[in-house]
Amino acid sequence: MIKAEPVSILRFLATYYDIIRELYNIQNKEGIIRHEELTEICGRHEHDVHQQLKDYKILRSVNADFELRDVYYKLIEFILYEFKPMLPETFEKYLMSMSELFRKIKEGTHGDKMILSERIINLQTQIREFLDGVEKNTVRLLHETRELKANVDKVDYRVKVHKASFWIQYYIIPLNQVLNVNYSDSVANKLLDISDFANQRRLNFDEEGIRIQFEKLYNQLIQTNDDLLRQSKILTNELLPLIERIRTESMILTGWIEFLRNPYKVTTPKLLKSNRSAAYNKNLFFHTKEFFEQFMEDEEVFIEEDPQIYEQWIFNKANVKAKLKEQVPVQDFFSWCRNELMMEFKEVDAEKFFAMCTLLFEEDIEKEFSEKGTKVKIKTHHSRMTVPKIKILN
Amino acid sequence: MEYPKNHKEIVEDLMAGKFILPSAKHFESLRESEAFYAEFFKESFSYTLTVTNDYAYVVSPETQETLSRDISIFFAIVCYEMDRDGRNFLDQIQYSEFEMEDIDRMFENSSFIDLILSNKQLKDQDARRTLLNAMNRRHIIEKITEDRFTFTSAYKVFIEFAIELAKSRSKEVEPSDN
Repeated sequence: MIKAEPVSILRFLATYYDIIRELYNIQNKEGIIRHEELTEICGRHEHDVHQQLKDYKILRSVNADFELRDVYYKLIEFILYEFKPMLPETFEKYLMSMSELFRKIKEGTHGDKMILSERIINLQTQIREFLDGVEKNTVRLLHETRELKANVDKVDYRVKVHKASFWIQYYIIPLNQVLNVNYSDSVANKLLDISDFANQRRLNFDEEGIRIQFEKLYNQLIQTNDDLLRQSKILTNELLPLIERIRTESMILTGWIEFLRNPYKVTTPKLLKSNRSAAYNKNLFFHTKEFFEQFMEDEEVFIEEDPQIYEQWIFNKANVKAKLKEQVPVQDFFSWCRNELMMEFKEVDAEKFFAMCTLLFEEDIEKEFSEKGTKVKIKTHHSRMTVPKIKILN
Repeated sequence: MEYPKNHKEIVEDLMAGKFILPSAKHFESLRESEAFYAEFFKESFSYTLTVTNDYAYVVSPETQETLSRDISIFFAIVCYEMDRDGRNFLDQIQYSEFEMEDIDRMFENSSFIDLILSNKQLKDQDARRTLLNAMNRRHIIEKITEDRFTFTSAYKVFIEFAIELAKSRSKEVEPSDN
């Protein structure tokens, strides 16, 4: 039993709020308030409030240490609007208790009215607590998501992906299921059943007192339904897209950073290698422009001269002409040229062959063409030629 | 033989390595005759046709790797720098217009400056304009004026590439994480 007046306790809370707040923070962080920490805080604030904290049942002893009693912890949590997110599994206890109470209310409509009334009141409390829990969770999840988006802790993108996935997988999606009326096992669906039942009983129950209680339950459920719908909308329209985007964006950035670490060792998306365009292609101008743009900035180029020395051949017409004259009559001029080249160079080079052919235009060389038009085939180093058979007479 | 509607435009664009986008009049024709064109490009040129809700394009066994790599680096730096500025880069790429000046500022102040300077297509303003011209021709961006452009939905090819890379790397790092 608390001996103090309620107003004294409230005044104490207001006067020593700073101390209470610090105790709350410690419990939030460490789960317990160590004796030394309590002494240190009181010393720092120059107020020894050990005794009041015990007398007003604000602190509970845990061996040599302390913890804030749940009611005060929740009060501070609510005032600060700093809620710890509840795992959706925690909500299932409400589903269980509400289902059980609802079953007993249905079965006990003809039984003791006193217990029926108590059960309705208890059910209302469960519904209120459930709604509170959902609201707190949404607030906390929104806060966490916005913190993650702003990245105040400067966490790595990979950690962001992990955190976002964690919130989605363990909190947001399961909470959404709890609130989804289309899901048969959801709390929202159970509330709908209760609402239907309360709606009937508020109209047709024999006893007026219970009828009024069903009326209250029904009205509470209408309000609860609106509130849950609002929470569900926040989850699906705001929270889920926001956190999904954080996850996607963080994932993209993780990929890009990974890529930028060594962009030349990763296979990038395939793009079509376009073929060379015809001169009449309508895109030729742009392709040419693109091609030339690559060379806008000239790089310094060094050209080394080829040290290989080529043998330079000069056609000595007088010499060859004299040789031809010595051998006249020559039956086939082109074959003679080929043979001469073969004898001298062991191959028939086209350039040398054509140079020798110029002898035909010499005026003092008498030629005779085959009347039958006989052709001769000459094979040079790189080509095959079909030439007429020409006889040299003189 | 009767060819699908807009056959000439479809073939011309795809053969030029362009993305065909939903805004193009021949996109629908291509989607309707997707099976025909998939076979047509496979049989005629050994090209693979990819059609999604956001784009269509073909790839050859031989690909333009340098261009793809330069574009990927371009996207990587643009996304990274926008995020560093606190901008929602995905929204910006999807819905915003970009100015060349803005892009130049991002590249000039980037911490990846060594990589940028060593890349012929990204090292300076002129080089980046050349790269953007190539992206414009392939319909990866759409130029509004000489200095302003928007990204087309073809950006998703490169964003998907980054996501896949992140996934594959995270699998390598955390083989037991599922």
